[in-house]
Amino acid sequence: MSLSTLEQGVVAQKRHRPTRFFSRLGPVLWVGPAVLLIAGVVLWPVVIMIETAFQNISPDGFIRGWAGWRNFVFLWQEPDLTGILVRTVIWVATIVVCTMLISLALAQLFNQKFPGRRAARWALIAPWAASVMMTAIVFRWGLDANNGVINVFLHDIGLLARFNSEASDWLGSPGSAFAWMIVVAIFVSVPFSTYALLAGLQSIPSDVYEAARVDGAGVWRTYLGITLPLLRPAFIVALLINVMNVFNSFPIIWEMTRGGPGHQTSTTTTFMYQLKQSYIGESAAMSVVNFGLVLLIVLVYLRVTVWKSGTAEP
Amino acid sequence: MRIACRPLFAGGMSAAFALTLGLFAAEPARADTVLTLVAADYGTGPADSSQIYWQKIADAFHAANPSITVKVQTVNWNDFDTKIQTMVQNRQYPDVTEGDYFSNYAQEGLLYKASDVLSDPSNLMPAFKTLGSYEGVQYGMPFTTSSRAMFYNKKLFAQAGIAAPPKTWDELMTDAGKIEALGKIGYGMPLGPEEAQAETFLWLLGNGGGFQTADGKWDINSPQNVETLDFMTKLVKAGDTEPNPGTKNRAVILEQFAQGQVGMLNGLTALLPIIKQAGVLKDSDWGTAPIAGKTGPLDTTLGVCDFIAAFKTDGSKQEAIKKFLDFAMQDQYQVDFAQEYNLLPGTTSGAAAFVKVDPALASFVDALPKAVQYPNSPVWAQVKTQIQQLIGTAIGPHPKAVLDSIQQTALKGS
Repeated sequence: MSLSTLEQGVVAQKRHRPTRFFSRLGPVLWVGPAVLLIAGVVLWPVVIMIETAFQNISPDGFIRGWAGWRNFVFLWQEPDLTGILVRTVIWVATIVVCTMLISLALAQLFNQKFPGRRAARWALIAPWAASVMMTAIVFRWGLDANNGVINVFLHDIGLLARFNSEASDWLGSPGSAFAWMIVVAIFVSVPFSTYALLAGLQSIPSDVYEAARVDGAGVWRTYLGITLPLLRPAFIVALLINVMNVFNSFPIIWEMTRGGPGHQTSTTTTFMYQLKQSYIGESAAMSVVNFGLVLLIVLVYLRVTVWKSGTAEP
Repeated sequence: MRIACRPLFAGGMSAAFALTLGLFAAEPARADTVLTLVAADYGTGPADSSQIYWQKIADAFHAANPSITVKVQTVNWNDFDTKIQTMVQNRQYPDVTEGDYFSNYAQEGLLYKASDVLSDPSNLMPAFKTLGSYEGVQYGMPFTTSSRAMFYNKKLFAQAGIAAPPKTWDELMTDAGKIEALGKIGYGMPLGPEEAQAETFLWLLGNGGGFQTADGKWDINSPQNVETLDFMTKLVKAGDTEPNPGTKNRAVILEQFAQGQVGMLNGLTALLPIIKQAGVLKDSDWGTAPIAGKTGPLDTTLGVCDFIAAFKTDGSKQEAIKKFLDFAMQDQYQVDFAQEYNLLPGTTSGAAAFVKVDPALASFVDALPKAVQYPNSPVWAQVKTQIQQLIGTAIGPHPKAVLDSIQQTALKGS
């Protein structure tokens, strides 16, 4: 660059300073509404939630003043809380792990060329597109102790001796009810994860595989050494979204057992809703705890997986 | 307090939809008064939905009073309490409700007194006056009532070789066992969230217990109540009931009785239309009897009343509500309702008119004044919710712990 052009540049910069000032403001104009929206729709409710957790509110919604930490004390004193927390961990861990493993396999399958692939891909969308509540109701009726279609099938193939028995009443005892709800939750979570991973698989350039083949890597070596590491960004995103979705999952449990008997199939999310009916403050306290747990999961996760390195490695 | 109860899936959703519409439609373009009525749905399906009953009244009322429009929403029984509670918590008060009534709304000063919105409150059935009152003033207006009795399947009893319905718990257990041996449900025990408080109460009464002592002190975890739950557990463990009663709602059990799958249960007259609709049992196939107690049948029964309550909101609609309630509580509509759902009227003159039309049910009407009722306390709403949620878990090795926890709820207050 010659001296004269440099000078010209400086002059030009000086002349355009006001414009530059406004052009710096420009992004604010574009980002501003989004920020306001987030503040109003996300942050403000969080503030209200925390405020409510410290208020004494009558069951009819009248504020009777501040409660200090009393709502949290009541919450810790709930005899069922420990069981609910443990169950929530089992709920999230089992569903997310199973979903991700199944999705890895399914994504691999759908990435192959085979006749009818388009139809198969479309079919996978069905559980995702259907309302979760609808799916839960269908399963609830299917498991009916007296005449549920799943029980009728088990009866016909000779696995179920009689209807209206302990064995046919899947949703009646907490263990089998919870297991069935986990199955339903996996069923509705798999499509999203599969598509996220499938998109990840399709973005892996084919020349990497060619190089691996030239170097003589086997199928498993290729999968573990190339596919999985390159799939990491998609995998992490799918995993994280799943963890939060499953943690906050309400309709499956609500429609299939309402958390019953007692609170023996409740997670913190459904328990929070049940508390709301009678004890709004305590319910808000549960809500704050839930919120804290989700934040914690996200933070721990971001730390452990070192977000950036996954994308930087290739 | 709820009387009949058949879940109607569309009910809740259509009501929510109607609410959404109502919010927009309520904009007063003209000087017309719009009243929102939220009522429980007593029907078994779209054909006999209470929406139809109320809409008929609303239309007739609008024809007589063109300046007042009544918007009717019906909500299925499973969601009714939650729905009203949520509306109250969100300050979206309905003008009139029909279904469960809770004295905590009166305690908060949200309701009109019965005398403010009815020309002749003395016509309300006196037997339920206390239950509808808070601190001596009546707010809940009896609309429809019922009493409970044991219903039994005569066909199954004959097959099992049982001569007469059981009078004591031991007989009940023996008989239920015999019916169980036929591959049917011996005794239907609905302890699921829908109506667990009624089934529980009837069992507690059988052992001289209850929710409160005679002087109104909470007494849920008393020794005789624990003993009652122990016996119920024994019955369930023996396989004489449906499996896992704590998760079975009444609607399902009544339906199964109508299908001929249940030997006996504590039921109410509202079971009649369900039996008829199912078309499995003939009138001669079933009968009623006094409810069995520990050592002998109950000499009293549980009298249940559903109330109308009028919310004040800003206090501007009192005249309109009064006009509407005077209109809706006419004998003619009381009799219509009782006949439609096989329940009993809530007003004295309505009951008198009903007995003339349907003398067969006169004995049920006569039984009402001496019937036992639910506690009249502002905490009852919370206690009831706890019973519905938890009592199923009292069927097991530790009934005392569960009863203790419900007693705690009662003492903790609202």
